[in-house]
Amino acid sequence: MEKMLLNNVDKPNSEKISTYISGGGYKSLEAALKKEPEKLIETVKASGLRGRGGAGFPTGLKWSFIPKDPTLAKYLVCNADEGEPGTFKDRVIIEKDPHLLIEGMIISSYAIGGATSYIYIRGEFVQGTKILEEAIKEAYEKGYLGKNILGSKFSHDMHVHRGFGAYICGEETALLESLEGLRGQPRKKPPFPALAGLYAKPTVINNVETLSCIPAIVSKGADWFKGIGPEKSPGTKLFCVSGHVEKPGTVELPMGTPLREIIYDHCGGIKGGKKIKAIVPGGVSAPILMPSYLDIAMDFDTLAAKKTMLGSGAIVVMDETTCMVKVAYIVNRFFSHESCGKCTPCREGTAWLTQVLKRIEYGKGKKSDIKLLDEVCDNIFGNTFCPLGDGAVMALRGFLHNFRDEFEYHIERKECMV
Amino acid sequence: MPKVKINDKEVEVKDGTLILDAAKEAGYIVPTFCYQADLSSLGSCRMCLVEIKGQRKLQPACITPVLDDMSVETNNETVSSARSAMLEFLLSNHAFDCPVCDKAGECELQDMVHKHGPHKGRHAEPKHSFHNKDYALNAVIVKNSNRCVQCQRCVRVCEEVVGRGVLGSIGRGHIQEETSFLRTYLDCDHDGMCIEVCPVGCFMRRPYRFKARPWDLKSTKTVCPYCATGCRMTIQERDGEVVRSIAMPEDGFNGKMMCARGRFGYDFLNSKGRLTTPLIKNKDGVHEPISWDKAIDIIKTRFARTAPEKIGAVASARLTNEALYLMQKLMRDVVGSGNIDSSSRWNHSVVEGFVQATEIPKGGTSIYDAMDSDAIFVLGTHVSDENPVTDYVIRNLAAANRKSVFVATPRAMKLDSSAQMVFRYKPGRLAAMLGAIVGKFQETRGDKLSSVKGLSPTLSKDLEELSKASGISLDDIATLVTRLNISEKITLMAGTELLRGGDGIKGLGLLRDTLRALGKEVLVMPILDRSNQRGAWDMGINPVFGPGYAPVEGKWKGTEEMLEAALDGDFDVLYVLGEDIQSMFPDRSFATMALSKLDFLVVQAAYMNETAKMADLILPGGSFAEKHGNYTNQEGRVQAITKLMEPPGDGKTDLDIIWLIGSALDSSFGPNLPREVFKEIQSKVDMYSEVEPTGFISADTGEEPVYKFDFKEALVGSGSVELLDVEAKDAEIKIGTDGDHPFMLLTGNHLFHSGVMSMQSELLKGLLGKPIIEMSALDAKELDMNIGDLVTVRGNGFEADFVLRIKEGTPRGVIFMPENYQEIAVNKFYERKTGIPGVNVTAQRG
Ligand SMILES: Cc1cc2nc3c(=O)[nH]c(=O)nc-3n(C[C@H](O)[C@H](O)[C@H](O)COP(=O)(O)O)c2cc1C
Ligand code: SF4
Ligand code: SF4
Ligand code: SF4
Ligand code: FES
Repeated sequence: MEKMLLNNVDKPNSEKISTYISGGGYKSLEAALKKEPEKLIETVKASGLRGRGGAGFPTGLKWSFIPKDPTLAKYLVCNADEGEPGTFKDRVIIEKDPHLLIEGMIISSYAIGGATSYIYIRGEFVQGTKILEEAIKEAYEKGYLGKNILGSKFSHDMHVHRGFGAYICGEETALLESLEGLRGQPRKKPPFPALAGLYAKPTVINNVETLSCIPAIVSKGADWFKGIGPEKSPGTKLFCVSGHVEKPGTVELPMGTPLREIIYDHCGGIKGGKKIKAIVPGGVSAPILMPSYLDIAMDFDTLAAKKTMLGSGAIVVMDETTCMVKVAYIVNRFFSHESCGKCTPCREGTAWLTQVLKRIEYGKGKKSDIKLLDEVCDNIFGNTFCPLGDGAVMALRGFLHNFRDEFEYHIERKECMV
Repeated sequence: MPKVKINDKEVEVKDGTLILDAAKEAGYIVPTFCYQADLSSLGSCRMCLVEIKGQRKLQPACITPVLDDMSVETNNETVSSARSAMLEFLLSNHAFDCPVCDKAGECELQDMVHKHGPHKGRHAEPKHSFHNKDYALNAVIVKNSNRCVQCQRCVRVCEEVVGRGVLGSIGRGHIQEETSFLRTYLDCDHDGMCIEVCPVGCFMRRPYRFKARPWDLKSTKTVCPYCATGCRMTIQERDGEVVRSIAMPEDGFNGKMMCARGRFGYDFLNSKGRLTTPLIKNKDGVHEPISWDKAIDIIKTRFARTAPEKIGAVASARLTNEALYLMQKLMRDVVGSGNIDSSSRWNHSVVEGFVQATEIPKGGTSIYDAMDSDAIFVLGTHVSDENPVTDYVIRNLAAANRKSVFVATPRAMKLDSSAQMVFRYKPGRLAAMLGAIVGKFQETRGDKLSSVKGLSPTLSKDLEELSKASGISLDDIATLVTRLNISEKITLMAGTELLRGGDGIKGLGLLRDTLRALGKEVLVMPILDRSNQRGAWDMGINPVFGPGYAPVEGKWKGTEEMLEAALDGDFDVLYVLGEDIQSMFPDRSFATMALSKLDFLVVQAAYMNETAKMADLILPGGSFAEKHGNYTNQEGRVQAITKLMEPPGDGKTDLDIIWLIGSALDSSFGPNLPREVFKEIQSKVDMYSEVEPTGFISADTGEEPVYKFDFKEALVGSGSVELLDVEAKDAEIKIGTDGDHPFMLLTGNHLFHSGVMSMQSELLKGLLGKPIIEMSALDAKELDMNIGDLVTVRGNGFEADFVLRIKEGTPRGVIFMPENYQEIAVNKFYERKTGIPGVNVTAQRG
């Protein structure tokens, strides 16, 4: 299969601009600058590329919302906050092939008419930040960034901004607040960032992986891209597989690759030959899947139809020795710890859920607790300001629905079922 | 105009109306916590979730605008259960210590739970506790975070209204806490806006701690007595002690806004130093009590045997309209003297020019209409300190509606940060700056300006000179002119810097007329620092104009001229009402000498003051909490003050005292009930004929008008009288600095003080008690002085000690001194007719 994202990562010094250029890098930028920006947006639209940050929103469509008014400043912001537990795909690109992202961002900025772009990077990615900053410096030196790029009329500046350890800052509007130096909490929408985003100016926010698809789409064409994977979710996808598998790691496969193939063919199957118990298909906000779903096609629509989601493409595999109460507790604790505190149901509700789950996990559960968990979930779900609170509920409901007996066992016997 | 259905009712509302407001229109109240109309919207508490037909999720009514044909349910099962769920969440981490919480009984959370349930909670886990004991944030604010509902109103109000931004959230999620940085001592405006907006008992008044429950309190609706912003408020007493003042969000134009003086300065009412009986000076110069009958008799005799032109009266701009009106009636109609003035600080000729330039006789202007301009030019008024709530309104509305604010003041102030451009003109050189602005207009659009009266041609050489004199570069002037050129409606707000010496009065008028000649709509709004200054002028407390600015016959004297005449032995009787001439007249030794030459000095006051100490007769007057009447604020808004309690001892209200004197001299003197006197005012003073004062019981109907936010019926109308026909002159302000006295001394109101009245407030004195001066960091460095140093200021043969403060933005070579101290007579640094005094500042040895 042809790759477009992980072509360079195994090369020595893959992060250097020389390595990138010798592999044909920045040719797409050259080609793009000769086209009308409008045409580029059309190409991306036609490619069917959907956002890789989690929601799967059509990228070309998102770009087309940006006002064409040339007097307005516009921004591109790359979401490199990669905070969803189990997700480590953007990091591979950032650390191993930063110029792929940078090239993608320059082309995208050209398409929307943005003179400045920002990479909002997860604070813990210290190494990644250094690599990106070095790479941006290289790009300036080679004239891919700065004034009149490659002799064109297009000038562009790029900056890296480090987050400070808040999952919520991956949510695009909280990210903008944080980038502006404010407290990282989501903004109300509308207005949507495309009209009033960073500094109230039209802004596109895209995930690292999304932007890294752009150079290939420009060089090989929309049809080529659309030819990979299912019609409605085309392209390749980075899957980061972790948990009880023999060979955890990030793999690039066509969208729609069956889950079984990813786990058994590409990641060596279950560790120690144990039995598989459950799978998180797309980051911990995505409700878990039972092994009976192993043949499901991993793309946005198929998973959504099964009431879960592809999310960021983070697959966490759990074998038969895993206590689901403990997993539910840890996952929920993550959400309540990361709740930004803005809205009542998420702030208070997730904390409450964690308290109850913790009790159950530590053998202090009460019979009424499962009902209480259900009811508190109901009171949170749909009432929160942003999707974080809903995500916490979706995850917990997945556990409660599929492993109710394990919760009951835990409450009654005050110990794990496994 | 979208049509929407709210429950069973259809309403048609303006585009962009929030569901919350549409529901209100339809008669349904949607409960809220985080929503507050004048703050940026958050949509975070989720109390206001409602169901929109056809939408999967409930939506917050406070941030969702209606669309045509929308159908909304605000009370069905789904909505009610979500509401009670939100309350259950809020209570899950709530302290539940109502029995010891000051807010109990007027707590929004209590009320909400009572109304919307749940009446039984399921949360049985340990609660997060932010701290064990309440902690004081500063001298007036105490905090308990364990009761917080995280509505962020405190944080937003501090940022968006007060403009301080000293509150924020620390931490994240359910352990986030709204407080000051590291919960440390808060150096803020101390206005307690955070207290006022907090729905629960998190932010609390320190002086009100454990003092009362709301139902123990007796309240009256009134107006803040300090500045002429004229904030409506309610004062409340328990067992004869006033324990707090609170805003009146429903009624006052000021909504929830009040400043430190309004919110904490009420305790002067409890001051022990009240005068309680008439006092007469005996042969040994000691004051001893006499009866009212005798006191009135003495005055009657004195007035009767003195030639009218040798009798005069000076009244405070904090008396009610009724008292002021009656006072001038007594003087003009009974005594036969027009020697009347309303301030000891300002020369009456300057007042006349100011009144003309600000077009006060044309009637009132709501500040909300003024803020509906494209550009707001604030000049010659340190509103942030003198009129804090005016500053709040400007900041809040300018940001919300993206209006341009321009500031021109000699000293830095908080509003600077909300301004597009700040012009720090040299002290006393506003006239030059205004001249340069008008000159620039002439240069660029001179052809349109032929109709402007009094405009003489300005050459580019003049422009350069004016720019140099004012310290404002021609580039900045040009930018301002460009900005004003693109504005269609412009408001000019001008204040006490003009009144102090007359600097810029003519320029203000010329700028006003120039802008009008260019086709702009121009409003001028006076910014005044005494609660009833405008009312005092409207009532004709001035030697040149009578009630309604009607010209008076004859040539009469203002304060300064009366004192001059007294000094020459040519003036005999002075009746001073509520004013402290000794403390406030900008030349202490002149005032003292002149007053001592009088034959007979009567002082009517609530407290002993420096002038009263010299008086032959002292009459104990009532405070604003002891009387009914009206104040007219700087907008021209007439608002009632109402009586909460009786004057202490034998004290009487000012109105009663004036009436007693009047009727002693003339048995047909007229009515003495405030509402009847007001009726007389309405019949005699055109501007007031149609006014419905906010909160005032009409003599005709016996009812209060139904007032509401920004109640326009309370604005005075335009009189039939033409604008004053005076020739406004820009005074040449002399600068008294020299080699030995390198600093210009500027004085004015401090944020926590306003005249000598605030010095009776222990709470305000607690915020700032010691005399201070402010200086720039660079000057302090040059003099090797630090914040907090004790320094000596010398000038005009006087010296006094102050604590040094460094204020960012203070120009070099300038010191600022609040003018309200009683122990240090700031006016001793002044010699009249010499302009801005020069002083030197030295560190204290040892
Ligand atoms: C709580 C929360 C966390 C998120 N974290 C991330 C993240 O770490 N990285 C990311 O790319 N998108 C994240 N998203 C999604 C972004 O809001 C946004 O949809 C995405 O960056 C858009 O880019 P795309 O269209 O390229 O996917 C998060 C969303 C939510 C609600
Ligand atoms: S759901 Fe509410 S509290 Fe949770 S992260 Fe989003 S805005 Fe913050
Ligand atoms: S302290 Fe009061 S105003 Fe501030 S967030 Fe808490 S409840 Fe709201
Ligand atoms: S702004 Fe003026 S009127 Fe309002 S509370 Fe403060 S001192 Fe009183
Ligand atoms: S009042 Fe609407 S969300 Fe708080």
